[in-house]
Amino acid sequence: MTRIEVKLNLDAVAPLLDVMKAAADDLGPMLAVDAHVPDHDVELAHSWRTELMSGQRSDLAVLLGMFDSDFFATGVIALDPTNCEPILRACTAIRLRLRAVHLRELDDENLEAGEIDLESMPELQRRAFAAYAFLATLQEVIISHLDPASGG
Amino acid sequence: MTAPNPFQSPAESTATTTLLQGGWNVVVLNDPVNLMSYVVMVFRKVFGFDETRARKHMLEVHELGRSVVWTGVREQAEAYVFTLQQWHLSAVLEANDAH
Repeated sequence: MTRIEVKLNLDAVAPLLDVMKAAADDLGPMLAVDAHVPDHDVELAHSWRTELMSGQRSDLAVLLGMFDSDFFATGVIALDPTNCEPILRACTAIRLRLRAVHLRELDDENLEAGEIDLESMPELQRRAFAAYAFLATLQEVIISHLDPASGG
Repeated sequence: MTAPNPFQSPAESTATTTLLQGGWNVVVLNDPVNLMSYVVMVFRKVFGFDETRARKHMLEVHELGRSVVWTGVREQAEAYVFTLQQWHLSAVLEANDAH
């Protein structure tokens, strides 16, 4: 896999970071998807969830860590084989949370097609939708340019 | 561990044996958030599917609401369910009654 640098529009992305960070904070004590644990053993179920939580926290830290002072100086994020998988998973975790909290009343088909009336949305919901779409685009860039599936 | 019940019917005995040996399905359920390309990528990465097979399962999930992506022994099936959950897919383990 190669390394790619993506230049983002700071004016467009910076306002989305607060809503992304808030979604990540929401996920602190919970999993983005309630995990079905295929075992009735209480101890195993606990360690199953604990390990998923730990991975989710670590992934979110990698994603949010990209938007540091260097990013605010240059607008550039770097994607490579070491960070693309955690970033992909973290994007999904935050998108799931944004969907559950801010975009829950939107129709699945309209949301998938991007057929959303932005003008009628309250400001916070509009930013949540923009973050939701931005994270999907970031995932598409990683999948199409870095081909993580080939990494085994 | 309890001793085998000598009065157990043959049908029950067969079912028990197969469940232990390899009758477990890894099932992925639909969700309204994950991108189709993301689900295909996860299937390729986790199971080593080629693009065609990964897309087939993704479309089953999308259109039918679920897809059995792997069948085999319980321990390996549990490991796959865990890995899919790490990727935030809704994955569950089911006994394969057809076995």
